[in-house]
Amino acid sequence: MISARFQRSFDALGKIFEFTRRFYDAEGVPADDRLAFDFCVEEIFTNFVKYNDGNPNDIELALERRGDRLVARVTDFDVEPYDVTRAPPVDVELPIERREPGGLGLHLVRRLVDGLEYDYTNRQSRITVTKSLR
Amino acid sequence: MFDIRLGDKGEVVCEGRLDASQAAKAQEFLDALPAPDVVDMARLEYISSAGLGVLLRTQKRLLQAGGGLRLVNANRHVRDIFRYSGFDRIFQIEAPGD
Repeated sequence: MISARFQRSFDALGKIFEFTRRFYDAEGVPADDRLAFDFCVEEIFTNFVKYNDGNPNDIELALERRGDRLVARVTDFDVEPYDVTRAPPVDVELPIERREPGGLGLHLVRRLVDGLEYDYTNRQSRITVTKSLR
Repeated sequence: MFDIRLGDKGEVVCEGRLDASQAAKAQEFLDALPAPDVVDMARLEYISSAGLGVLLRTQKRLLQAGGGLRLVNANRHVRDIFRYSGFDRIFQIEAPGD
């Protein structure tokens, strides 16, 4: 497993994707899986950025390959709990008049991964996603 | 890296990765166009939910004026994200060669 901490900012995404690219290269991850996994990492990271605005702590990203599965663990420090696995479902069949920007990220993560777990311990929120390689 | 510009035929050309750090740039560009129609995604590698939000806001504006975006040359990742989000019902989206 490799891990690094990133500034709580959308602008950190460039460094995050550089970090994931090095991991994918080292682990021989196919291109399609890279895009889907980057999507999950971005949505979880930006979710922490948006909902814990003002927190001075960096956010930790850890990546691991377990056989034919990729695992990402994103940890936010000194925060209130928010269990993403209990986020309300999104009705994707609504007409455009009733669709509003936002709220899709976690819905899409659920569609893309095989496992989504939330843990809250010692004021740390930790989201772990697991995705099988195609 | 992400770039958005007008192509030779007046189409909007997107290139690179449209993530949360680039959404404001894309929104500002599209908001400045009175009636964009075609978006060429041939070189758009990646889109996240922030990018979807940009396109949805633009589509809502255009539909009020009787227009709308047609997204062409979208790669598999982009088409998957549109399908899972239900945006394939809101946008005309075409794969390369369609």
